[in-house]
Amino acid sequence: MNKREKLLRNLSSAQFAVWELHLYLDTHPSDMQAASMLAQYEKKCRTLTEEYEENFGPLTPKFAQGVEWLKNPWPWENGGVCD
Amino acid sequence: MWTYNKKLQYPVNIKNPNPKLAQIIITQYGGPDGELGASLRYLTQRFSMPYAELKGLLTDVGTEELGHLEMIGAIVYQLTRNLSIEQIQASGFDKYFVDHTTGVYPQAAAGVPYSALSMQSKGDVLTDLHENLAAEQKARTTYDNILRLVDDPDVADPIKFLREREVVHYQRFGEGLRLATDRLDAKNFYAFNPSFDKK
Repeated sequence: MNKREKLLRNLSSAQFAVWELHLYLDTHPSDMQAASMLAQYEKKCRTLTEEYEENFGPLTPKFAQGVEWLKNPWPWENGGVCD
Repeated sequence: MWTYNKKLQYPVNIKNPNPKLAQIIITQYGGPDGELGASLRYLTQRFSMPYAELKGLLTDVGTEELGHLEMIGAIVYQLTRNLSIEQIQASGFDKYFVDHTTGVYPQAAAGVPYSALSMQSKGDVLTDLHENLAAEQKARTTYDNILRLVDDPDVADPIKFLREREVVHYQRFGEGLRLATDRLDAKNFYAFNPSFDKK
């Protein structure tokens, strides 16, 4: 696993925790403990997203990032034999 | 509206092409219990859903299913890279190849193109939630069957993740059903349809 893949994996697990708590809160909207856990993971996500984007380009489309946004690899092209 | 995130929800890194497996797994792209139908079902049912928690749940689960559609597309794409004509013929992929080359097309394993007839948006809270609970179980069974046919750990790993998500979504829809019935007449949940009837 190279540096990009490792960082992407760490970001994905933090994002997964945020998402799972977010879904849980849809049906348990007053669970404050889950809400504060979500806030913690969100903070972690922000840090990891910043680190990733500084090194490997944008994860979400932003203005004036044409060439950076278009850079390979696209998500479905990771790994495999012919990259 | 939506914003794209340039990453998969869970990584897909498949080393060895396997067109036979691709033809099976494509059913979760465009088959009757696949991810395309799942996202379309939930994102469409939202419009007539009366309760805030359920509008949120359908939006969020429907959005996640779009991410799963992308994962299945990535699996099918990676399983069909660098194929020789001999591999295409020997695996029975030739019947798909003649229509789509190695492009990803929404179809069931047996070749039937995606059909909205495999999903429902009924405009009735209880009916739609039961539809969704059933849909999550049907998708879970499909993933169980796929896992029975897969011997490549690179493929089984993301499929196991997707299977697990069906179980979590089923749980959330069950809680959603409970939230809905709590607001209805406990003596007769069907006395009126809060998506249509006025109190």
